[in-house]
Amino acid sequence: MAATRRSRRMAADILTYFVLVSMSLFCIGPIVWMFLTSLKLEADIVTQTMQYIPSRITFQNYVAIWTQSSFPVLIGNSFIVTLITVVVCLATGTLAAYAFSRYTFRGRNTLMLGYLVVRMFPAVMMIIPLYVVLRSVGLIDSRIGLALAYTSFLLPLFVWMLKGFFDAAPKELESAARIDGSTRFGAMLWIVIPLARNGLVASSVFIAIAAWNEFLFALMLTTGQGSRTWPVGLQLMVGEFQLPWGVLAAGGILSILPVMLMFALVQRVMVQGLTAGAIKG
Amino acid sequence: MQLNRRELLAGATAMALASQMGTARAAGAINYWHHFASQSEMEGLAKIIALFQAKYPGTKVTQEGIPNSEYMAKVSSAVVAGGKPDTGMVITERFADLVAMNGLVDLSARVKTWPGKSNFPDNRWKGLSQDDKIYAVPAFAFVDWMYYRADYFEQAGLSGPPKNFDVFVQAARKLTDPSKGRYAFSMRGGAGAFKYVIDVMEAFGSPIVKDGKPAIDRAAAIEAVTFYSDLFVKEKVVPPSAPNDSYRQIMEAFRTGQTAMVWHHTGSLSEISGALKQGTQFQTAPMPAGPKAQIARVAYAGNGVMKEDNIEAAWQWVSFWGEPEAAIALLEATGYFPASTAALQDPRLTSNKIYDAAVKTLDFGRLPNTFVGAAGWSENVVNPAFQSVLTGQSKPADAVDRMIKGLDAAMR
Amino acid sequence: MDTGSHLPKIGMIAELSETRYWIYLLLLPSLVIILLVIAYPTIYGMAISFREMRLTRPGLTGWVGFKHYLVMIDDPVFWVALKNTVLWVTFAVVLELGLGFIAATALNRNVPGTGIFAVLILVPYFLPNVVAGHMWALLLDPRLGVINDILVRIGILSSYKAWFADPNTALAATIFVEAWHGFPFFALLLLAGLKGIPQDLYKAAAVDGAGPIAQFRLITVPMLKSVIAAAVILRVISLVNSPDLLLILTGGGPGDATQVLSLYAFQTAYKDFNFGYASALSVVMFVILMVFAYAYIRLSKIGQE
Repeated sequence: MAATRRSRRMAADILTYFVLVSMSLFCIGPIVWMFLTSLKLEADIVTQTMQYIPSRITFQNYVAIWTQSSFPVLIGNSFIVTLITVVVCLATGTLAAYAFSRYTFRGRNTLMLGYLVVRMFPAVMMIIPLYVVLRSVGLIDSRIGLALAYTSFLLPLFVWMLKGFFDAAPKELESAARIDGSTRFGAMLWIVIPLARNGLVASSVFIAIAAWNEFLFALMLTTGQGSRTWPVGLQLMVGEFQLPWGVLAAGGILSILPVMLMFALVQRVMVQGLTAGAIKG
Repeated sequence: MQLNRRELLAGATAMALASQMGTARAAGAINYWHHFASQSEMEGLAKIIALFQAKYPGTKVTQEGIPNSEYMAKVSSAVVAGGKPDTGMVITERFADLVAMNGLVDLSARVKTWPGKSNFPDNRWKGLSQDDKIYAVPAFAFVDWMYYRADYFEQAGLSGPPKNFDVFVQAARKLTDPSKGRYAFSMRGGAGAFKYVIDVMEAFGSPIVKDGKPAIDRAAAIEAVTFYSDLFVKEKVVPPSAPNDSYRQIMEAFRTGQTAMVWHHTGSLSEISGALKQGTQFQTAPMPAGPKAQIARVAYAGNGVMKEDNIEAAWQWVSFWGEPEAAIALLEATGYFPASTAALQDPRLTSNKIYDAAVKTLDFGRLPNTFVGAAGWSENVVNPAFQSVLTGQSKPADAVDRMIKGLDAAMR
Repeated sequence: MDTGSHLPKIGMIAELSETRYWIYLLLLPSLVIILLVIAYPTIYGMAISFREMRLTRPGLTGWVGFKHYLVMIDDPVFWVALKNTVLWVTFAVVLELGLGFIAATALNRNVPGTGIFAVLILVPYFLPNVVAGHMWALLLDPRLGVINDILVRIGILSSYKAWFADPNTALAATIFVEAWHGFPFFALLLLAGLKGIPQDLYKAAAVDGAGPIAQFRLITVPMLKSVIAAAVILRVISLVNSPDLLLILTGGGPGDATQVLSLYAFQTAYKDFNFGYASALSVVMFVILMVFAYAYIRLSKIGQE
């Protein structure tokens, strides 16, 4: 009996590894190719015979992207804007998600749908009025202004995602806590939120990535002297008469590194984190 | 709070001084939107700015690069929502739309009294004027021409580049060998395809717009579209990727040796020179002639003033590009054909044989079509219509009908 | 668990939480932000659809009622774009959901090294649309594309294929790229959701004699229902509204083969400068999404939990 269970588990493990490895290759393969491209000279990219391993390596592309578009400044701006966006979303969105998940009240479904609705209108049409709104409060070309714009359309995303996670946490726990004498606020803060830690981290990661990568609003609402972010700087490399593959690839790699780093730091919470089954009492 | 007379006077003087300083500071600083991106373009721009600051130390120029594909999006948003720059780069294809949305300031009076005007004959201004009013100062030009692989032509036993469409097709058949992965012509079927479709239509005798009204000659247009699309569909002298090939792909095809000919303009010379050897590998020639006309565009690009707040400083900047020193600086850095006749005498141009084709084209070249809605019609109607002929989804007659219908709608 | 001892520290908020206004206090901050920043632009954007607003014809502005919508009905490009949008979004979401589920399940088993695999598998989502678009344009390029090269070497293709130039493969190729780019969205959300399912449930079910498939059907899927719903709705909204990827890969071509509503609206606004019609297209997209979200929520009875 034990032998079949062990062999079944081993089979499952082998299958798991197979899936993980093949998916990783599927995902990381193109990125590796982009990295190799970033090390090649233009002549080795636009060539008749495909070069897999670059015959000559150059770091010129990285130098170009770093200096030509003042990349460090752009990355700095992106970082600050992303940070502000995540913080505001966490602070305001968690409360809203909790309310939607835990309480029924008049107009709840309408309001929930309302949060979603504001995301449904394409950004294309909102740029001009948004510009006017931000201009009237003097927040054009500022990181706070951009973060505010991002927050306003990422907040519904955050709330909806987080609500899904709050829903999965059993309501009985709060009832139990309240019987023990806790306030609603206490129950929320000390019971449910730690339970939904994975969800909180996952949702924040999405907001961070979305803010980090956003292009259109950054293009329209900032200038090169102010708070321009890195996606705009990268697109600037694509000129009318050239698409420098090497430089573009270098830019892509550079931009992905901070995100990967951030994710590597938080993945423990998400992937190996607390399982709800730990709550037994 | 009660102010006595002295305080009031002091306050008033202070405010007057401050406002004067404010205006003086404002007059001394302008911003400039452009869509230069490559290293060579930015070098040229930096040099021009440096020369400008040396000549006009009181005026500070802040340049702002905008990705070329989003340039009009950003400008049009600025026009509607506010935030227009003082000055901006203007190319002929976008000119009509910019003027129609009141995005440019009338510069006619200033141009008339401008000493530098002598270097710019009338045809330079035509593409940047409307109703006899001038809205931009030309700086450089893109002259259509054809690149061809001299070595492939030699191998195929061809004496020289084709001078008209008939010879073009004959040469193309000789230059194509799919087994070797060799095709005669890099056809642009993706983004930007419309330009050559329209050019071929005019080469077959169909105008596009006359006296502000749509004027496509249906029969001639169908003939033209049939001829041009047949290169891909029937003759197969074009790489199979043509329906999605835009600028970078046709250039990559030429650079990697897949194709023997490509139609473009002087703006891409530095890119091609970087990859192939001038003379032995590639050469330039004027565009081949169609049955009714030889069509090659000479598109002058320049700079315009977009808001009047700092018009003195703005005028200084846009007119400076017309000074010989600025034109030479740009030529040196980018190889772009100058609009100024003074710069045309520069040995860099006159001694370099590769520019001969462009100089010859100046004689018969014509302006691109500029009418309000040209950009939208070209990109959103002509392009997909032509692509569907390439992919066999529709016949040339259907495509032309779609183009005519779209033109009527755009010009209504 | 003695939460009462925390009471004095955060006394005031805790007291507030006992009042009847607690819910509204919870909702207020986010509501304020959304209303202040997004509400006006959205309403303005919708209002334009009833006006003529062509930047290059300043004299033509004015109220035109439903004119744009009537024009839309006769516009063949609109119908093609609508069809493509439905196809594109449906296939992309189905693919992403499937791949995401597989990845999440594998990661959830927490075998040694899972952390590294997690970072690697989620990498595609870290790229912005623009970079992913250019990257895949190069990978699938008919002259420089390494994937073409590999396929030729293996023998599947005889020569480099122009994936985006052939109307039969263009849409599928873009769906593939989008699936590669977006499936980690589902993987991540589903993984976090899976983590929230107590192991006891599975153990209890095993004791009751349920096999792995039955466990999946009776425990996993119901518990994940709200997470799946949130993920699907959000992803559909993203895909319908965002033209970035297609803008770079195909620009809607060849010949409208990959034209979708979001791209059409973008081109109408910023190439034709016809904001009125673009806005009408956007409103149609909006209505489609509203109907979809409402129907999905109703059908899966999420709101009633």
